[in-house]
Amino acid sequence: MEVGQAVPCKSFHGISREKITMSGTDIVTKPPGPAIRRRRFVSGAAGLVGISILGPPMIARSAAAAPSGPAWPSIPGVAQERIDGRIKVTGQKVFARDFNARNLGWGATQWHAMYLPALTTAHAFMGVDLSQLPAEARPKRVVLGNHLKRSVAVPRLRRARDLHMEAAHREAQVLSAGATAAATATFDRTLEFDLIVQPGNAPNYLGQGVALLMFGTMASYRAARRFMQFRDTEFQTYAGEVAPSSGLAQPWPPQTAYVKYFEDGESFSYATVDSVTYRANVPAWRGRIDAYLARHPEFIRQPLSVDTQAMDPMFMEPESGLAWYDAATSRLSLLVGTQSPDGDAGDVATMYGAADSPLKVKEVVLHGCPPGGGFGGRDSSPFSLLLALTAAFSGGAPVKLMHDRWEQFRYGLKRPGARIRGTLVAGPDMKLRGIEATLDFNGGGLRNLSPYVANLAALCIGGAYEIPTANIVAQSFHTQDITGGSQRGFGGPEAFLAIETALDDLAAGKGWDPIALRRANLANSSSRTVVGGPVGQELRLAEMLDRAEAHPLWADRAAIKVQLAARGVAYGTGIAMSLQAYGTSGDGMVAAVMIAPDGRLTVRSDAVDMGNGSTTTFSVVVGPILGANAETVEMGSYRLFGETGLATDASPGDWTNPRWTAKGVGSSSACLTALHQVHTLQQTASALMQGSLLPAARMMWGRPDLRRADVDWIDGALAMRADPTRPIPRAALARTIYQKRLPVGALGHGFFQADWVAADYAVEGGDIRLQLDGLSFYMPDDNEPVFMTRRNTTAPPAAVRRYSRYAWAPCVNVVGLTVDRRDGRVQVENVLSVLNAGRVLVPELVSGQSQGGVAMAIGYTLLEDMPGGNTGPANGRWNLDRYHVPRWSDVPLLPAYRPGGRAQELIVLPESPQDGGAARGIAEAVMCSIAPAISNALRDAVGRRYTSLPITPAKVLEGLGS
Amino acid sequence: MTLRFTVNGVAHQVDPARGDERLIDFLHDDLDLTGTKFCCGIGVCRACTVSTLRPPNDAAVPVVSCSTPLAMVDGLQITTIEGVAPPGDLLPIQQAFLRTFSFQCGYCTPGFVMAAQIFLDSLARARALPADLDKAIEAAIGPHICRCSGYARYYAALRDTAEALFAKKG
Repeated sequence: MEVGQAVPCKSFHGISREKITMSGTDIVTKPPGPAIRRRRFVSGAAGLVGISILGPPMIARSAAAAPSGPAWPSIPGVAQERIDGRIKVTGQKVFARDFNARNLGWGATQWHAMYLPALTTAHAFMGVDLSQLPAEARPKRVVLGNHLKRSVAVPRLRRARDLHMEAAHREAQVLSAGATAAATATFDRTLEFDLIVQPGNAPNYLGQGVALLMFGTMASYRAARRFMQFRDTEFQTYAGEVAPSSGLAQPWPPQTAYVKYFEDGESFSYATVDSVTYRANVPAWRGRIDAYLARHPEFIRQPLSVDTQAMDPMFMEPESGLAWYDAATSRLSLLVGTQSPDGDAGDVATMYGAADSPLKVKEVVLHGCPPGGGFGGRDSSPFSLLLALTAAFSGGAPVKLMHDRWEQFRYGLKRPGARIRGTLVAGPDMKLRGIEATLDFNGGGLRNLSPYVANLAALCIGGAYEIPTANIVAQSFHTQDITGGSQRGFGGPEAFLAIETALDDLAAGKGWDPIALRRANLANSSSRTVVGGPVGQELRLAEMLDRAEAHPLWADRAAIKVQLAARGVAYGTGIAMSLQAYGTSGDGMVAAVMIAPDGRLTVRSDAVDMGNGSTTTFSVVVGPILGANAETVEMGSYRLFGETGLATDASPGDWTNPRWTAKGVGSSSACLTALHQVHTLQQTASALMQGSLLPAARMMWGRPDLRRADVDWIDGALAMRADPTRPIPRAALARTIYQKRLPVGALGHGFFQADWVAADYAVEGGDIRLQLDGLSFYMPDDNEPVFMTRRNTTAPPAAVRRYSRYAWAPCVNVVGLTVDRRDGRVQVENVLSVLNAGRVLVPELVSGQSQGGVAMAIGYTLLEDMPGGNTGPANGRWNLDRYHVPRWSDVPLLPAYRPGGRAQELIVLPESPQDGGAARGIAEAVMCSIAPAISNALRDAVGRRYTSLPITPAKVLEGLGS
Repeated sequence: MTLRFTVNGVAHQVDPARGDERLIDFLHDDLDLTGTKFCCGIGVCRACTVSTLRPPNDAAVPVVSCSTPLAMVDGLQITTIEGVAPPGDLLPIQQAFLRTFSFQCGYCTPGFVMAAQIFLDSLARARALPADLDKAIEAAIGPHICRCSGYARYYAALRDTAEALFAKKG
């Protein structure tokens, strides 16, 4: 960690710190913050490359000045609207696609980039022929793979998505190559492929770049696009057939194998033994499972089977961005909407930090714009690297790279298609005895996050149930298809579809009630997952099933079916559960809270709001702690972790080192907001309260003995409980804070792995214990935060590292649907979702995630039909005329069930004392069990089982005819 | 013949040689009005919807700017999201979208605002709610794609606003 110079926001030349009023919404340019900030550096052969991450050029602030709306935010802890709502509802510049160089002070000149995609993996690419392009459509430069320096051609990417998976990979390396490999803990370079195919080589996957065309003007770019569209083969030349790419059809590392045996008083699992013992004994325990099941011929063996295609996230804003290398400052600036700004910037810094880098980059500045939709499709997307590469070939001009929708289908990360086969085993007493499953995912061209998706799917396929034995293998394969990444649900949708449909078939086959079968096997906090670790968290699954069972959509299902049948309508009802994990196997979070001299609050987070509402949530969750909601929230805006003074590389595993933590920060997913990010922010706000506001109040009241419990916030003023007649307005507290040089801001870092790391910190007035593993205070006029040394640190035990996941968002879905037997069309009529969300922070955001999840699941279950290979989006001809995402009419819109209506009713369990005030990340929870509920309802309606997604009308008709 | 049209009340003249350029590109490239969003480029998703009026007709109609060449907007009065509300103010439908948390990422929102306002204006001219309000709402807004929200809150906001419009008109 080093200290770097100030990173003035280059993009705001001429408008810095100015307030602009547009269409009634107040927006402000991003305040640069303290003048000097620590930055993260990436060490390359050419030296250190600094990384700075800044927010979008303009950020939403208080709506208080807007003439037509309510003052934001008037009630602490309550959101009256999205804090970023006004800037979006008035169409102001906020998304990456909205910006050009001229908006950023990067000059009037702007180049435009276009990649040409590989059309085959069976032939060697020989070159491009652009001779037929008219003069007005000619690029200024054509870049081929052999024009690239090696470091840029095959950039080395970071791999730090999931501690559990990285550990698994290290373990595999230890076993295969000895301790040396473990020490390096890096992935094999051969796992990465050329950004642009070298002429003479066969492309590694469809859509891999074969050429980069650089246009000097927008007009020439648009002319070329019009001329070249749908005529790919006319501009590329290929030679005869060649051997396919190395590694094709092989699994990406690491693969996942969970073998669990908790029967007959014996136990074995991934989570309960060390890695060496586990790997050595897996074959033997698989044999024990087989023998156990063989000893029980009375057991029922229910096959499970799922097939899914790749699915496009189809976020509304096609990926777009700007790149500019300023030779005068050796700074590479990027503006892009990404879910992984830290990782993307790090990868770019690594790419340009090598000795043979074509650019001498001292600093990478990433302006992270709110993505116009994400759903995982912008997490570690190759787009950021492709964008960064363009800056090396524009002669110093800013470059815009913007996908159109055909290109987004062609290049964008997909939900990997999956093939799941296995067997669910139950006793005649309804008790599940085992699950065996193989989960194969189509990882496509690049090793993106698909192995991690497969890994979580392996956990999810155990469902919401206690299953004593498991033999599960999950892997993702390298294929020629478009790269598979992570997408909302992260393997859960496929896995829950498998077990929940198998359960339904099992119940039907034995004449069991489907709810009774589930109820007989429900997991609880002391149950062990298929990984072997304890669930830990309270689930309340039985209560959820009770609510679903009593609801008229389920209770009256037979009568509804009869009524509709009398009108010639086929109707069915299905139920399914999911127990989606949120968070990863160990999550680092960072947050900062600042108080201005006038008492206004600002929250800073490195998180990205993909639309899930985390910006709004962050504003209101500090309200009850600091007496007001934050008026400004800066998302994805700074490399906050670099300011914490913490590091992950020194003294691994040593929590006694106050400057060590297990994980800095990770990518943003919607599910990480409610628990992980919010708790870290609230703890940080508590630090500011107890380390600054409370000491200021003590001074003003002359009561040095006051504790936090002695005071309350009343109408924005701090009041003593014993004597509420002398409240101090927050602004007055702030003035004292600045006058007395108390902390004006707090920066916290939290680490969660089954539990939070906690520590004592010395603040004005004594020690406080916080669930933070790092705390710094910003002082008035100081440029750097002051590091507070943690003491008496308690950390989760090492054993929990092998549990894989620790936090759960259970959901029960009931779906009622109709089937048109003539054309096979399925219409979802009603959805009931019973959700355990813990504490609900912003009710509108929780139900909004539920509604969006229902729609998205209806889409991939019934509508979104996209083949792989050259008939799929890799051929450049896929757009929304062929890829049908849910429309208004596909989704039930009413909020409450009533017979004859179309509603999606959400029942959120009331908060439990065992939640301890914590919220759960539910952005994926509801979606995960919609598909099996639909499949189960279809079986109820027409007596056929459909588990090949999407369940198109053609498949329905085929099933009806068989 | 020179193409003439207005955008948010400002007159523009464009060389007819540019007649096959898309309206959305003109808005973005020439006017720097990027509130109109590009998504599919083929007029399916309707994120790029703008409002157009051809005098003397006083009924605005939605136009998908991604699929509309400049040659076809000659003589039109075009309103984009940047000009749909009085300066410094929000339309009731914008307030309703905010109040009900209708959108999430917000990329589709300008298109929804434009189409919804055209619909509400048509109700105002008709001086009566349609017999089947839900069907009318679906006809007006149903083709628009939103990937985040699941439409339920857009629906609720628009229905509430339509009914309030009528209640106010008595």
